[in-house]
Amino acid sequence: MTSSSAPSRKALSKIACNRLQKELVEWQVNPPAGFKHKVTDNLQRWIIEVNGAPGTLYANETYQLQVDFPEHYPMEAPQVIFLPPAPLHPHIYSNGHICLDILYDSWSPAMTVSSVCISILSMLSSSTVKQRPADNDRYVKNCRNGRSPKETRWWFHDDKV
Amino acid sequence: MDSEDDDFYSGEAMDDENDYYNTDDAAYADGYDDEDEDDDDDDYEFMEEVDEEYVSRQQQSYTVLKEEDIQQRQEDDITRVSTVLSISRVDASILLRQYNWSVSRVHDAWFADEDGVRKSVGLLDKPVFQFSNAKELTCGICFEPYTRDKVMSAACGHPFCCTCWKGYISATVNDGPGCLMLRCPDPSCRAAVGQDMINMLASDDDKEKYTRYLRRSYVEDNRKGCLRYHLKHEPYLPSDCCYIHFVYCQTKWCPAPGCDYAIDFAAGGGTFDVSCLCSHSFCWNCTEEAHRPVDCGTVSKWILKNCAESENMNWILANSKPCPKCKRPIEKNQGCMHMTCSPPCKFEFCWLCLGAWSDHGERTGGFYACNRYESAKQQGDYDETERRREMAKNSLEKYTHYYERWASNQSSRQKALADLHQMQTVHLEKLSDTQCTPESQLKFIIEAWLQIVECRRVLKWTYAYGYYLPEHEHAKRQFFEYLQGEAESGLERLHQCAEKELQQFLNDDSPSKEFNDFRTKLAGLTSVTKNYFENLVRALENGLADVDSHAACSKAGISKPPPASKGKSGRGKGSGRSSGSHDAGR
Repeated sequence: MTSSSAPSRKALSKIACNRLQKELVEWQVNPPAGFKHKVTDNLQRWIIEVNGAPGTLYANETYQLQVDFPEHYPMEAPQVIFLPPAPLHPHIYSNGHICLDILYDSWSPAMTVSSVCISILSMLSSSTVKQRPADNDRYVKNCRNGRSPKETRWWFHDDKV
Repeated sequence: MDSEDDDFYSGEAMDDENDYYNTDDAAYADGYDDEDEDDDDDDYEFMEEVDEEYVSRQQQSYTVLKEEDIQQRQEDDITRVSTVLSISRVDASILLRQYNWSVSRVHDAWFADEDGVRKSVGLLDKPVFQFSNAKELTCGICFEPYTRDKVMSAACGHPFCCTCWKGYISATVNDGPGCLMLRCPDPSCRAAVGQDMINMLASDDDKEKYTRYLRRSYVEDNRKGCLRYHLKHEPYLPSDCCYIHFVYCQTKWCPAPGCDYAIDFAAGGGTFDVSCLCSHSFCWNCTEEAHRPVDCGTVSKWILKNCAESENMNWILANSKPCPKCKRPIEKNQGCMHMTCSPPCKFEFCWLCLGAWSDHGERTGGFYACNRYESAKQQGDYDETERRREMAKNSLEKYTHYYERWASNQSSRQKALADLHQMQTVHLEKLSDTQCTPESQLKFIIEAWLQIVECRRVLKWTYAYGYYLPEHEHAKRQFFEYLQGEAESGLERLHQCAEKELQQFLNDDSPSKEFNDFRTKLAGLTSVTKNYFENLVRALENGLADVDSHAACSKAGISKPPPASKGKSGRGKGSGRSSGSHDAGR
């Protein structure tokens, strides 16, 4: 497992706890289609199962997302990665890192795990080709030692996929 | 390491960059601008007439802005946009920020397409989020229900509780100047969040940070410059009459460490030299210290050269050889050719042919010669490295010559600054006392010192200029060295007089008869030196163009154009010098 046990993993603040509990309740009442939250007693790390949408390149495939929440969630973005094997996608690196702006610069505290999941699924669904990003090997090599994707300076250039 | 690519032939920059100092179309602006709202096109014609009047004037083309001045200007710009567009000051500030603080660009964009501008900047004229009739609203971040009076929203109406707003604002402010573009947290909403919300919700620390970012943005994002109009009162006009004067202005921070002032600079002002209120003088264009009359390109090359390792490498190349065994560079400063490398190598070799000393002895010519070297040299084996060594040595000597003079004028200037300060704070009062002369009558001494300080600065930079002046431009070099020599010897006389001759009067107890003579002499030297330096500056600023015609004939093999024929065009010093005495002052 590329379990990025984030270097400065501080316990959730009270605000973060409250908010996550609400999100969890909302998720149970109204789960986003195609996702399943694997129940654990760890509020700070969610493991979510993703089912590729029917009629897309990823139909009938299942992947796992790992969502880690920082101390000051939701003011800070959660860290979201795919657990191996990560889907073959032009914006998903083999180490599970995802190049998606809302996970980094464009994060807003009004977003939720559920809305992030929907964005990721839509990113998968709109892909027309199953392949790794062009710079996959170089990037993954640079990310050894479990570096978090949040430390990467992403450059979002492709708004089609 | 290769001295052949040394750049002392790259003087072409000097000819290209003279237009930095083009004073012909100078549009000067002084004082603060009293902006006027009506910038109709007819005013432009008006301006052209005015410009003519200003060309010959010696006026400052810049204004030093203190923090409160910057704030004042920013406030004024905001007020202007806010009144013209009939929008709140907060909205005006957001707009200006988006358009790099250019009032005219905001106006243009707004009147061309108000809806488009509102949309892209995030200025909504009515809420997009409709409150339901419910008593309670859910905060969009923590999802807790709140009564209406506990939630706040930007113009869009998306409700968030105060705690979440505070967290959101504090996170963004601490993330950097991006907070100036703050938007509603709702991801689908682009509504701008203005300073009013910041002031209401941020901590004092964060408010201060935000204000600092705002001020910085005003100075730094303004880089592109903007057209300012100044109302100018002229003494020869009736008092209710003034010209509207347009200038292209830019703002930059003073680069001195710890200085918070900014400089507002009007383009086309003739010179780039700027003096901040903190007393730091610098070049507006490149922000290095003031270097008139030498252009920015030469200065940056020179500064790079002074700090570059290249000169060290040149020295090593010129004065050392690598040990043939361990390859460490070895300097030979005296003694015979028998070298012993330092431990642990301890290799013994011949300095000339670099062969092992065990092969040497009486039969190879003894300790001070090497037949093997001589014969190999005759066969041409050493030519390449020797030639390189020779070149490096020459280039190094040339550089050292100019650098030493550059540096000694620099330190001389520092000393003069200290002396000037000493004079102003200590000696002047005492002198006024012993010589029974009011301090106002002693101004000539201060003027002399100010002149010395300025001349040392100019002289210093002429050595950088001289270094890059191409060797083959004999006429120019000769003319330059003549002017530089004249200026320098004048300055030495002045400096000597101000430093040494003044000393005796400082030691006097009673008025001295010679003091009046001294006054005449020092004032005279000051004005003569000033003249020399003005000539020098003027000549360098037009690229020594006066000798161009001579340069043409010197190409035909006559490498000595008579210097006496060059001082034409009213320099008034056309005679009485021989070409051999140019370096009188060095």
